Amino acid sequence: MHTLTINGQSREVDAPEDMPLLWVLRDHLGLVGTKYGCGIAQCGVCTVHVGGKPVRSCQLVVGDVGTRAVVTIEGVGNTPHGAKVQQAWMEAAVPQCGYCQAGQIMSATALLDGNPNLDDSDIDAAMAGNLCRCGTYIRIRRAIKNAAAKSA
Amino acid sequence: MKKIIGTVVAVIVAAVLGFAGWLFLGRDPMSFAGGRAVALEDYKGGDVTGVPAQLASADLVKRGAYLIHAADCQACHTAPGGVPFAGGFAFNMPFGTLYSTNITPDKQTGIGDYTDAQFLAAVHKGIRADGERLYPAMPYTSYADMTDADALAIKAYLFTLAPVHAPPKPDQLSWPFNQRGLLALWDVMFNPDERFRPNAGQSQQWNRGAYLAEAMGHCGECHTPRNPAFALDNHRKFAGALTAGWRAYNITGDKDAGLGDWNDEDIYLYLSTGHANGHGGSAGPMGEATDNSLSYLVPDDVHALVTYLRSIPAHASDLPRTVTTPAPASHKEGLVADSEPRGEKIFAGACASCHDWTGVSPVTGYATLTGVRAVNDPSATNVAQTVINGVARKTADGKIFMPAFGEGYSDDDIAAVANYVTGRFGAKGAHLTGGDVADLRKQASQHPNLQEAPHG
Repeated sequence: MHTLTINGQSREVDAPEDMPLLWVLRDHLGLVGTKYGCGIAQCGVCTVHVGGKPVRSCQLVVGDVGTRAVVTIEGVGNTPHGAKVQQAWMEAAVPQCGYCQAGQIMSATALLDGNPNLDDSDIDAAMAGNLCRCGTYIRIRRAIKNAAAKSA
Repeated sequence: MKKIIGTVVAVIVAAVLGFAGWLFLGRDPMSFAGGRAVALEDYKGGDVTGVPAQLASADLVKRGAYLIHAADCQACHTAPGGVPFAGGFAFNMPFGTLYSTNITPDKQTGIGDYTDAQFLAAVHKGIRADGERLYPAMPYTSYADMTDADALAIKAYLFTLAPVHAPPKPDQLSWPFNQRGLLALWDVMFNPDERFRPNAGQSQQWNRGAYLAEAMGHCGECHTPRNPAFALDNHRKFAGALTAGWRAYNITGDKDAGLGDWNDEDIYLYLSTGHANGHGGSAGPMGEATDNSLSYLVPDDVHALVTYLRSIPAHASDLPRTVTTPAPASHKEGLVADSEPRGEKIFAGACASCHDWTGVSPVTGYATLTGVRAVNDPSATNVAQTVINGVARKTADGKIFMPAFGEGYSDDDIAAVANYVTGRFGAKGAHLTGGDVADLRKQASQHPNLQEAPHG
């Protein structure tokens, strides 16, 4: 039995040690906003925050989460930067098909949490691991900049 | 004039004999310890061969199963994705390719017809049942130390396996290396063909560790440099060597390049699980050695190995002292890509999500790059190989996985990211070129069935 702190709430999960957090979130806790993409940490759609860091939940096994707090797309809107990023996302109409967007928003929010005074190079370094097959990268960049401007 | 010729001849003869003597003296892997080696039956310190105490009353096959893991026969006698012990594993060497053979009990293509004496001749002397010589890719100069009883327990285990019909693959060796008969000379020079002789001045634990490291685990076959005749040069015992395109690191007591700065618990954990926090995880051939062999040893045996390793004299090698502090959190600090941003770009897209810009992984300690020997090796050999081949290990903690990027990324890409990683997280950045990476791909013995990374 694992006790996880997810979006500010304590949750009990009965899952094997080596089950990826992504499976726990989706199948055990019904938090299906986090998506499965490549399964090998190369696309970014499964990104959640663990201990404040953006982490690919397909690679992090539940036994290694420990006491670190987990934030998912369902809860990130309750954080200051998460709310601003989501607002900026809507204003820029970022998504096309939308499948990668939860991961994009999680990575963008973690970027702002760490460094609100960002430039293009920071965005490239933080977002390069989040792929978007629709090619919304230009709108993603604009939305992150808008959110950063409102955070500064 | 005659006098001069005579002197020259004498000098040449002396030099040749001296060199031969030097090679000869370098063959004993345990001479570094000094003291007096005694016959096994004369050692009064306790049992040092065979299975550990908890298996002492187990049947022959169970004992053989333990010992075959300790001797790590499976890693080389199994082709990637193939049936265990059915052979076909390729050794790519500068003078051609050799394949391991089928040691399942198949009568036509395996060892089903081997008598005990024939099996012992293969294990101790490198001589097949048909009288032909084996190449020392089969570590019989190490296995020569194995007791008859232990070798025959291994045989008993092998004979319980289902026979697999797997004919040997023909070797592709250039002349004169394709002349097996010449190995008779090599064997006279480099295989003492002598069973393990404990060191009377050392503890049982040390001697047990020596037996496990030399007779069974044959650590030196990868970790000890070779002399010009491709035999182990124990003058530089465990000082590190390049084997099958991977660097087997210095495991002597040297503080910079070896294990001098590791504590006993770290060495214990690394051997038994293939990972120690702050030192990273094993991959490549050492990953196989961990998963197929070392992880099966009982704790007492791993402690014995630690004791033995601790006694190896320090040999310096060309590796700088390992950097143990994480890199800065921002990509703009620490190593900064300027004129050649390719490595940093690849790192950002394919690596940073697990390895982090600091090198300290938020995912698993196995993925932390800070403090890892490979990352602090300016040749970047193992970094490049890990990028090419990925990591696919099965441990007691579950699967350890890194995608294989070898198919999705070009040689230039892999060189750039290896240079960036060693520069950012290690002591000294590498300067690999795409050509170097192409060479490394050729040297690696195998291309396992890998889960590919998507094209980047």
